[in-house]
Amino acid sequence: MNKILLIIQREYLSRVKKKSFIVMTLTTPMIIAGFYGMMIYFSLQGIKGSSNKIAVVNNNKTLTEKLISSKNATYTYVNKSLPQMKAELAKTGYDYVLYLPGFSLDAPSGIQLLGTKQAGMSLNSRVADDIGNAIRNQKLKQSGLAQKDLDNLKSSVDIDIKKIGETGKEEDSSAGASTIIAYAGGILMFLFILMYGIQVMRGVIEEKTNRIIEVMISSVKPFQLMMGKIIGIALVGLTQFILWIVLTGIISTAVLKIYAGKTGITETSVSAALQQQNKDKMIKEATDKSPVGNIQKSLANLDLTKIITLFLFFFLGGYLFYSALYAAIGSAVDSETETQQFMFPVMMPLLLGYTLSLSVVTNDPYGNIAFWLSVIPFTSPIAMMVRLPYGVPDWQLALSMVLLILGFIGTVWVASRIYRVGILMYGKKTSLKEMIKWFTYKN
Amino acid sequence: MLSVNNIVKQYAAHRALDDVSLTVEQGKIFGLLGPNGAGKTSLIRIITQITAPDSGEVIFNGQRLNSNHISRIGYLPEERGLYKKMEIGEQVLYLARLKGLSMAEATKRVKYWFEKLEMGSWWNKKVEDLSKGMQQKVQFVVTVLHQPELIILDEPFSGFDPVNAEIIKNEILELNRQGATFIFSTHRMESVEELCDSIALIHRSRKILDGAVEDIKEQYRNNTYWVEYEGDYNTELPSGIFDILYKDIKRGKTTLKVQLKEGQTSNQLLSVLLPVVNIQRLDEVIPTMNDIFIDKVKTKD
Repeated sequence: MNKILLIIQREYLSRVKKKSFIVMTLTTPMIIAGFYGMMIYFSLQGIKGSSNKIAVVNNNKTLTEKLISSKNATYTYVNKSLPQMKAELAKTGYDYVLYLPGFSLDAPSGIQLLGTKQAGMSLNSRVADDIGNAIRNQKLKQSGLAQKDLDNLKSSVDIDIKKIGETGKEEDSSAGASTIIAYAGGILMFLFILMYGIQVMRGVIEEKTNRIIEVMISSVKPFQLMMGKIIGIALVGLTQFILWIVLTGIISTAVLKIYAGKTGITETSVSAALQQQNKDKMIKEATDKSPVGNIQKSLANLDLTKIITLFLFFFLGGYLFYSALYAAIGSAVDSETETQQFMFPVMMPLLLGYTLSLSVVTNDPYGNIAFWLSVIPFTSPIAMMVRLPYGVPDWQLALSMVLLILGFIGTVWVASRIYRVGILMYGKKTSLKEMIKWFTYKN
Repeated sequence: MLSVNNIVKQYAAHRALDDVSLTVEQGKIFGLLGPNGAGKTSLIRIITQITAPDSGEVIFNGQRLNSNHISRIGYLPEERGLYKKMEIGEQVLYLARLKGLSMAEATKRVKYWFEKLEMGSWWNKKVEDLSKGMQQKVQFVVTVLHQPELIILDEPFSGFDPVNAEIIKNEILELNRQGATFIFSTHRMESVEELCDSIALIHRSRKILDGAVEDIKEQYRNNTYWVEYEGDYNTELPSGIFDILYKDIKRGKTTLKVQLKEGQTSNQLLSVLLPVVNIQRLDEVIPTMNDIFIDKVKTKD
């Protein structure tokens, strides 16, 4: 145990002290903050409006419905002819002239948008949509609907999903929130495993390339070395990640302050704009079914402490488990160039678990597939995260956790055995018989 | 101290050790000799518990070899290596602590050794910035730092210049005086003669010779002498008690290699030569370990 701690310490410190680690840890938040700054900039541009003033010259007697102005396009109806407007456009202060000729509502044509600058794609489609809406509204009114009927056409459907607990009590469901957590957890885990799993693998090859392997193996057991390496490097990953979050937060806040001070825009308006954007993004990324309010509500419904604890457990468990798989690859090969072919097979189960979790498990969180996916260590970290908010029986939770821990330790053990056999063969083909002999060898 | 009993080690298509037994006595320097690929390294790896034998056993201080013995053995592998990117001081401390030393004890001993071998200024250097000889020195310190009872050195002098080789040799002898037992695997026969008390010769996976160096040499003495004298090469030598194996005459000096016949002694040789020639030198030809090595290996082939 003591030796494992020593190895963890070395693996951790030797990596954290590296220049490349420090540089990466410091620059990445700056890059993220830079993106963040750009997002602020552009969303503010959006608020202030690169708004286009459009003069409408309407020669169409049938289209009486007015175009509705929006943030990006303000329509002003003018009583001038098109040639007049063309001649005076620069003086009048309008950006564009929209010319609506006399067309039938069934076949609008001949519409022109003229300006000193050519109208961009988005303005073009904006205007086309507005005209289309106007025509549609007019047609609906002609068929007998009143304005208030038109307003009533828009409706927002919001279903409250509740689960009936064992006592018959209603419990708020949190399917939306769980999907978001599962998505986020899954993506996070992918990122982590991709970034740091490979580091674990490299770390395991380190002793071979430095030829220190015999000294190490004559001092510690391969299992201790493996365990120490995996945990040490996993901690490096976590450190970097946490630092990224903290530093990004600090830098972003600072950037926001400076920016807000310079432009005289209040911080709240900036953050409001950002919030709007983030919400939009979240909805797009996560469920497009659940409106924002519902997600927040269902998040609040979850037993947060339990969820977070379990989330952390499965996150760390999955991360360690997959790191151990990478360690096993590292112990089977002599150099990094040989590792490429093994990368995909290791990622496969995670990928499979991810896709299945988000399709099968969310559809049928209590089914057989869901059960097995959430119990087998290869997929359980993600599948269990998805299932959790639907309510998982304690025994299944316990089984899944125990199997994940055993899976991790077992993989480390297998990796260390492969490592031991791998070193000693020195170019000789590792026969299955020899492997089995090593696996069964007792000290 | 250490006895290896009937060890067999089989790799896929190759038997690396075939029923090898040997005994290393407490406080001695034991030479493990053999041509390349004979199985020396395989045997060492079994003693250091990097691999296990297919059959046979190793007894360390009366106990069957087990993982508790790891910290009592120091091993300098032939394939040298250290963490290249790590600072020397930190690295040596780490490796010492892995052998079970406390931080304080490890620091004390590392300081002692660094001072002794004039490595003090290397503490903050990285291994990759050191010359090969310097790295070897660091590795030697790593091997002996935890005061192992048994120290196994695989080709310890390779990569050292003569000055450093001498320093390391003296350290080995001093550690030996303090009670450490050594197993010494090498091809350099002159260092075997200088250092080893006894040897085992392994060839083609089998032990073909073992015993105390003096005994083996004694065994290989065959009553052969170098004789050098002044005088005419035509001088008739009394024959009958020896055969001439080699004869060379230069600038009025004659050099002979003679083998005495059964039961004859050097004194009898002198007594027959003295009346006829002016003797300048008489040496017994004692076989070197090198000669014995080559002789044994060749005859087995």
